[in-house]
Amino acid sequence: MNQRDLELLSSYLDGQLSPSDSARLESRLKADAQLAAVLNDLRATRTLLRKLPARRAPRNFTLTRKMVGQNPPLPRAYPFFRFASALATLLFVFSFGLNSVSRMTAPVFGMGGGGGDASSEQSIELYAEEAPAAATEPPAATEAPAEPAVGMAPAPTMTAPAQEDALRMVETPTLPAADMGNAVAQKLVEAPLVSITWQIVLGAAAALSALLMLLMRGIAASRWR
Amino acid sequence: MNEQALITDAQNGSLDAFNTLVLHYQDSVFNTALRILGDGDMAADATQDAFISAFKSIATFRGGSFKAWLMRTVTNACYDELRRQKRRPTTPLEPDTDDGEEMDSPRWLADPNMTPDQKAEADEVEHAIQHCLDNLPLEFKTVVVMADIQGMDYSEVAMSIRVPLGTIKSRLARARLRLRECLQGFEELLPASYRLEEGMNVS
Repeated sequence: MNQRDLELLSSYLDGQLSPSDSARLESRLKADAQLAAVLNDLRATRTLLRKLPARRAPRNFTLTRKMVGQNPPLPRAYPFFRFASALATLLFVFSFGLNSVSRMTAPVFGMGGGGGDASSEQSIELYAEEAPAAATEPPAATEAPAEPAVGMAPAPTMTAPAQEDALRMVETPTLPAADMGNAVAQKLVEAPLVSITWQIVLGAAAALSALLMLLMRGIAASRWR
Repeated sequence: MNEQALITDAQNGSLDAFNTLVLHYQDSVFNTALRILGDGDMAADATQDAFISAFKSIATFRGGSFKAWLMRTVTNACYDELRRQKRRPTTPLEPDTDDGEEMDSPRWLADPNMTPDQKAEADEVEHAIQHCLDNLPLEFKTVVVMADIQGMDYSEVAMSIRVPLGTIKSRLARARLRLRECLQGFEELLPASYRLEEGMNVS
């Protein structure tokens, strides 16, 4: 018996043949005892399999919410607090970052002033030191009065005011530069880009939103149980 | 039980609706897994995995036979279980109760309607059939379990394992032939009416 006949017999057993194919096979079965014997064997095998006792499930396979990773239904306001908490935390961290970056980058703008830490103070000092150098250039003219003063040693009365004038002229330009540098430094140290008050507000908002989120989750979970 | 309503509710996320379906189908699903895997503990694991997987993907069910769809899930879970078993052969444990204690007398062993002799005989026949099933190639075994043990029709089996109808017919015929040959070795265990004739070859 070939594979084709085997498939025909198996399908015939399950009523899967067309009426014409069934009729053809039935006439062959009448004439061919071996074919009929194979059909009987296949039928007996199928009956044995069908009579195999169905086992009861050893336990219930019902699912729990934990098994399928289902979360309790949360209040409608929950996404708002989640967003608020995330935003406040982001801004809080960003404000810290902004203040730190502004201090760190102060030397880059140092000639113009800015920053309040050691490096920025150094830049202010540099500014203050350079300022007199620039300022002393015009007072090159001051040397003129100074030289005669040396040359006219016998007339000290005249050199004293001249030296005072010269000194005054040398010192005078340095005063605004130093003051300006100090003022800028002072201002930068005292006034960060984002004020402490705002940082506290942002931190409090982040903490409060997170706390409310946790509270909502807790209540939802306890109600769900 | 309004199956369609339960399926719709489950698709909308209702775990209670899905669990009603679980209670209805768990014996069929477990039996399919048991006959494919030949081991109660592995079958229980595969059944649980199949239901979890079915719940997670129930949105993809687009109608037709829910049983066939579920059988595809359990067949996949059985294949996964066999692959896992090949990678890490382990000693199976007794199933746990809800309290986490080992269940020393599983319910599936108990059948109060049979005398001890009948039970011993039935167990022997069942053992012989399971032995022959275990010796079948996996693709033949899956088809014969679905068609002859679960009583599914050809189109349902074809839908479950996603192969053409012609392949189902061919696999089923060859699986039945192999089973017949194997069961001839257990002739003395079989009831007289089911004894098989010998000496027939299929080329």
